[in-house]
Amino acid sequence: MAEQPSAEVSVPAQAIAAGSTEAHPLRTTRRGSQPFARGTEEGKPPLLLSRRSSILSTLPAALASRRSSLGAAPGGRRPSIGPWMLHSRVSFSGLPLFQPILKTRLENTYRIGPDEGCKFNAGRVQRVLEGALTGALETMVYTPQGSALLAQNLVEMLQSRAKEVVPPRYKLVCHVLLGQQAQQSLLVASQALWDPKSDSFASATFSNASLFAVATVHGVYFE
Amino acid sequence: MDEFQPGEETSFVVDEVSAIIKEAIESAIGGNTYQHSKVNQWTTSVVEQTLSQLTKLGKPFKYIVTCVIMQKNGAGLHTASSCFWDNSSDGTCTVRWENKTVYCIVSAFGLAI
Repeated sequence: MAEQPSAEVSVPAQAIAAGSTEAHPLRTTRRGSQPFARGTEEGKPPLLLSRRSSILSTLPAALASRRSSLGAAPGGRRPSIGPWMLHSRVSFSGLPLFQPILKTRLENTYRIGPDEGCKFNAGRVQRVLEGALTGALETMVYTPQGSALLAQNLVEMLQSRAKEVVPPRYKLVCHVLLGQQAQQSLLVASQALWDPKSDSFASATFSNASLFAVATVHGVYFE
Repeated sequence: MDEFQPGEETSFVVDEVSAIIKEAIESAIGGNTYQHSKVNQWTTSVVEQTLSQLTKLGKPFKYIVTCVIMQKNGAGLHTASSCFWDNSSDGTCTVRWENKTVYCIVSAFGLAI
């Protein structure tokens, strides 16, 4: 555990040291070439050695600055390597560690279709839709601003009503069309790719003098 | 279902589906003016073409495609949809299209199996 933080931290710290604006005299004399190009030129080893030590000395500083950006800085301390490891442990525990989200593993139910008598009852859902639409829209008048909100509320209400009568393990898709009655022509069509034995849909319409509404609920069995 | 791992290619990609829908609408209605006798044929064609293209994607989804074609008459129209599903795997895409005489709204819902 002691090794791990240092391994993780040293790489980004080196990157930070390379890119930092702390003007190290050795780096400036190297004319902006890659600071970590190793052993390609003559006479570099002595420079490398001294550079390595300088990197080590700047490492805690870089870390301290990084820690301050993360909001866990304990104040301008420049520890050496030993206490740095200890402090690194402290700072890591001070960081907000999120608990891993436990994914609940559900047992296999070995069901591939709905139970007998537990299917999507299209007739029942249609009656529910018709009743809900009539109840909600009987006295309504179409208004351009209000009807957008009315459509949203209506679809949510229809969904909750449909959920009550639909068997479990069914996914629902509710679609409502609300329009102004103005002597125009309209056609609504839908097609689906599903398992016809278990999935079905129900639709209902309503119209009065100023508006019309078409509601469709598709029920899809979820394995 | 345990060995089937959900991966990149088994999520509902909205852009892909949107492109499929647009193509289907253009080829079915294109630049035509509203004709009551042809509307039935248009909606059928849009929906069938969209569905067949979606099937060709080969993803483990059940699809529901809805198409509304309306004559442009100055009347207002609102559509809303609400779904009871698994947010992480299922998705929807709605495309609104119009020309001089026709409004067309196509919604495609994809539900993971």
